[in-house]
Amino acid sequence: MQAEARDIADLISRCALRDRVAFRSLYDRTSAKLFGVVLRILKDRAETEEAIQEVYVKIWQKADRYVSSNTSPISWLCAVARNHALDIIRARRPISEDIDVALDIPDLSPDPERQAEAAEDGARIEVCLATLDPDRADAVRGAYLDGFSYEELAVRHSVPVNTMRTWLRRSLIKLRECLTT
Amino acid sequence: MTEQDFTEEDQGRAAIAEYVLGLLGPKAHAEMTRRIEQDAALRRERDFWVQRFAYLDNQVEPVGPPAHIFSDLETRLFGAQKRASLWDSLALWRSVAAGALAVAAIAVGFSTLQPRPDSGQLANQLVAALQAEGSDVEFVALYDGTGAVRLTSLSGHSVPGSDYELWAIQGGHDPISMGLVPIDARTTVELTDAVRSGWGEGSVLAITLEPAGGAPNGVPTGPIVAQGAVTKI
Repeated sequence: MQAEARDIADLISRCALRDRVAFRSLYDRTSAKLFGVVLRILKDRAETEEAIQEVYVKIWQKADRYVSSNTSPISWLCAVARNHALDIIRARRPISEDIDVALDIPDLSPDPERQAEAAEDGARIEVCLATLDPDRADAVRGAYLDGFSYEELAVRHSVPVNTMRTWLRRSLIKLRECLTT
Repeated sequence: MTEQDFTEEDQGRAAIAEYVLGLLGPKAHAEMTRRIEQDAALRRERDFWVQRFAYLDNQVEPVGPPAHIFSDLETRLFGAQKRASLWDSLALWRSVAAGALAVAAIAVGFSTLQPRPDSGQLANQLVAALQAEGSDVEFVALYDGTGAVRLTSLSGHSVPGSDYELWAIQGGHDPISMGLVPIDARTTVELTDAVRSGWGEGSVLAITLEPAGGAPNGVPTGPIVAQGAVTKI
């Protein structure tokens, strides 16, 4: 782990020990990043100001869980922020039918070397996105960075929702293949 | 290409990527959360995607939140009376760190009074000054380079019905208990394998006040009364 990442990991651990000074320090060092992540998805400053507080409440309360996740400290923090923002917009969307999701997932064969590689070569996702059609890579980025739903992506790319679903699933399968080879 | 060209496993992994992207509807999302919590292979797959997509976070422009957010947050978490105490002062903590170096210098002075260790051993010696604002508990910890930490209490009082417990905090790991420490005596604590594997400069030692007998579940529950990072002598 790099020095910056190790510092952040230490601060999160100290939050788990209920160290408020560490919490302040963690906030000072990471809030601009997380505010950016949430603002990009919610696209509303006042909502983001409220949401960012909820995000840090979660970080304080769930700091002990960081240890059990297999991600870098900064990714973990961004994921907490991103998931919170997504929960907010998901709750607000009109109820759409959850059609055709493969919830029954067969046993996944482990490929343990992967994780180490992931940590070493973060930029590989860019390389792999570049192997997709530009439109489809844009859709993946739009889903991740802007929190766009299938419906929103379909409108932006002027295709039916079902087409967008098929596109994106295929793209994700291809992406994974590229990321693990 | 049709959906049939992909295995069920491919489609299952893609479903977890959709989950991580936030593309599932509320019901499917909640159901997937539940399944992931129960299945280590699914958790690995989720972590895979979280970690891989995380690189894209670099494309997000950082935006500084307004200054009042942190104090609002503190009020929300800790209540109004806890705000704006010295406990929050970074400057104070920097001065504590500076103080730790002074204590380290004194500790070196002490250690030269003792039988001279060989030079290899000296190179591995580490020191930490353990203190915290608002607490009168202070310890100096000296690591002798061979696997034991000598702990000397400088100040503090024992609290009836409570014990002081020493913790090692290293990397992103949970604090590891190093046992109970008396407040008015010198103690030697052998490093366990778990502590030793992450031990070195940058390890943090912390002392918390716990119920008598120590933290019940091996997880610190009480306030930190002293802490400090380990530095080379």
